Amino acid sequence: MDAPTIHTDGGAAHRIAFGCNPAESRAASRALRAFLAEHLLDEAELFACELCLAEACNNAVQYADERFRNEPIVAEAVCTSSQVELRVTDHTQGFDFPKNPSVPPPDSERGRGIFIIHSMMDGVRYLRSENHNTLVMWKRRSHHLHRPSNQPSSESPDDLRRQLEDFKRTIGAMARELCFRSESLAAIFRCGTELGRAGDLEGFAQRLLGDLLHLTSTDWFVLRLIPPRDLQLTVFAASDPELMGEPLRLGTTNPSPASAELAAAATRTAVPYTARHARLPSEPLRAAGPRAGGLVHPVLFGETLVGTLAVGRRENAGPFSELQAEVIRTFAEFLAIQIVNLRHQEEQIGARLITRELEIARSIQKASFPRSLPQLGNFSLAGRWESARQVAGDFYDAMPLGDHSLLLVVADVMGKGVPAAMFATITRALIRAMAPHHHQPADLLMRLNALLYEELSAVDMFITIQLVCIDLQWRHVVAASAGHCPVLLVSGDGNPVRTLGPTGTPLGIQPDPIYDQECATLPDPACLMIYTDGLTEAFNPAGEMFGRNRLGEWLRERVRFPCAAEQLCEGLASELDRFREGTPLRDDQTFLILADKCPTSVAHPQHPSLAGWHSSTESPSVTHNETVSPLTK
Amino acid sequence: MKIKQDGQRMSISHIPELSAVNSTSFRDEVQAAIPPSMNTLDIDLSQTLFVDSSGLGALFSLYKNTGSGNGVKLRLLNPAPQVQQLLELTQMHQFFEITRD
Repeated sequence: MDAPTIHTDGGAAHRIAFGCNPAESRAASRALRAFLAEHLLDEAELFACELCLAEACNNAVQYADERFRNEPIVAEAVCTSSQVELRVTDHTQGFDFPKNPSVPPPDSERGRGIFIIHSMMDGVRYLRSENHNTLVMWKRRSHHLHRPSNQPSSESPDDLRRQLEDFKRTIGAMARELCFRSESLAAIFRCGTELGRAGDLEGFAQRLLGDLLHLTSTDWFVLRLIPPRDLQLTVFAASDPELMGEPLRLGTTNPSPASAELAAAATRTAVPYTARHARLPSEPLRAAGPRAGGLVHPVLFGETLVGTLAVGRRENAGPFSELQAEVIRTFAEFLAIQIVNLRHQEEQIGARLITRELEIARSIQKASFPRSLPQLGNFSLAGRWESARQVAGDFYDAMPLGDHSLLLVVADVMGKGVPAAMFATITRALIRAMAPHHHQPADLLMRLNALLYEELSAVDMFITIQLVCIDLQWRHVVAASAGHCPVLLVSGDGNPVRTLGPTGTPLGIQPDPIYDQECATLPDPACLMIYTDGLTEAFNPAGEMFGRNRLGEWLRERVRFPCAAEQLCEGLASELDRFREGTPLRDDQTFLILADKCPTSVAHPQHPSLAGWHSSTESPSVTHNETVSPLTK
Repeated sequence: MKIKQDGQRMSISHIPELSAVNSTSFRDEVQAAIPPSMNTLDIDLSQTLFVDSSGLGALFSLYKNTGSGNGVKLRLLNPAPQVQQLLELTQMHQFFEITRD
């Protein structure tokens, strides 16, 4: 049995030659059915064709002429889009094929086959010749494409041609859409890859939106974004300079927004931009031209409005197709994700920089505090610095000015971070360098201002500073201040707290200010305190300030009993902690306390021992024995 | 093909086709299996995808040899739509009771 498939004009043919017996005959009709099934005949057509072929082949086998028993019988099917032709060539004596066979009696085998063929086929011819005959059968195909078999075909050739055109158009549109989508995806991926490399959002947006113009056959775009912590739509990228309009303030309750972009932002939906908008004087997209049209899409990240994307044509060609609108929406969504990602990255980098800067500033600032303070015979000296989260430029210092004199410094550099910490370090170094030559605090302040004024004013910073010079032998105190909190002087006899508060301009404000000095005698026993305003301006959860009075009263209570400076510092630090009850510090708290070591009952003070004058690590050696006269104003 | 006897009822199922190849043997096997006191013959055609004129002839001879005149009920169960149409076209349906589930 050979079975070639031949493609003829407009159809396919399958030919089978088989031996003269029922089994091969049946196999041939089955094989031709399979061939026709590949050409999408429906079940009823397949059954009819298989049955008629089987009937014809059976007849060919059953009535074969004995002389030609060894000749193959040929069965073939030719399938076109509109019909099936079946042929069976037999080697029988042939017979007269009835034109209109009627239903045969039930026990008539042969007549039934002919009747079935006649009934099921649309046309039949029996071609007789000398040694063989061919039965040709036609059946129209009820439809060309998949359609339920219970719908009879009723289309005319014109209908069919129209249908074919429809199909062609549909397939064409599908192919275009496929290209379009793959181009959109390619554009997105290309830009995404670039973004990963460059991190340049503006260039990225320009390139991506350039691709969008190409894809949607548009010629202008405006991308507006809402800057972080802002409430307006600011142009971030635009196809043309004239479209770089002013920021649009996002109204909260305006019922009729003044522009298409604001409308899209307010409604969170795409808003068509039409000539109606172009007539509004407040419409920034008017710059696209009087006949322009387009679409404004909100740029949303989840529920959050990131900005708006307006895309359009200068010559309005009607609304966008559904597909174009979808591509614009896809691009807007993609942009939103990229923008939010990039902003998040920038914030993280910013946060890391700030953290790093704070670390540097803190280490600089720490270095500007003395690691140990001079030890003074009958006096004790202690300092404390409590840092607020954001590093400021507080510092304190204490340095000997001779055998019995001491300079105490507390300063507050107005500014934050590394610059403030650096000015603190510079100021401290300058004081250390100049103090031996300028025993008058006011004089020292003038020199400091002269040296620091230019640098400080250049960066709009200033320094408040309190200098106190103490002659420990004569218990004489001289104070000068550059805009700093006053010195507190507390005696152990319960008398009111005295303040030394000469006025003076902070360093860095005026080029040549005049500084005053104020003098006092240390009571015996006594406590002297210099501090920064971070201490008195500390708040508790109720919003109360610690204040100078509370500080003074606290000191007065403590000094009634003998108390070393270190104990006072610790006590005050605990008191401040208690007061704040966890309220975060707004500013550094820095203070320095000098106190009598123990109550001196002796009326005339002994010379304080200078044994511990020199701090092992910090204080410069005092090599000269300059006699210091009592410091006076 | 399966032949099952249940008292006076016989049922035949799993018939892939009734064609010139197998219709004679089908007829002979079924006839040989028919018990003397059968009153119902069920032929399940639900799995029979192809029937040709010789298949129809075999069914008719079963009708003739068993059903006609001696009160045996002949039923064809669940024929495929095309097979049923063929039975109707050739008017064979009048000899059988065609039953659907």
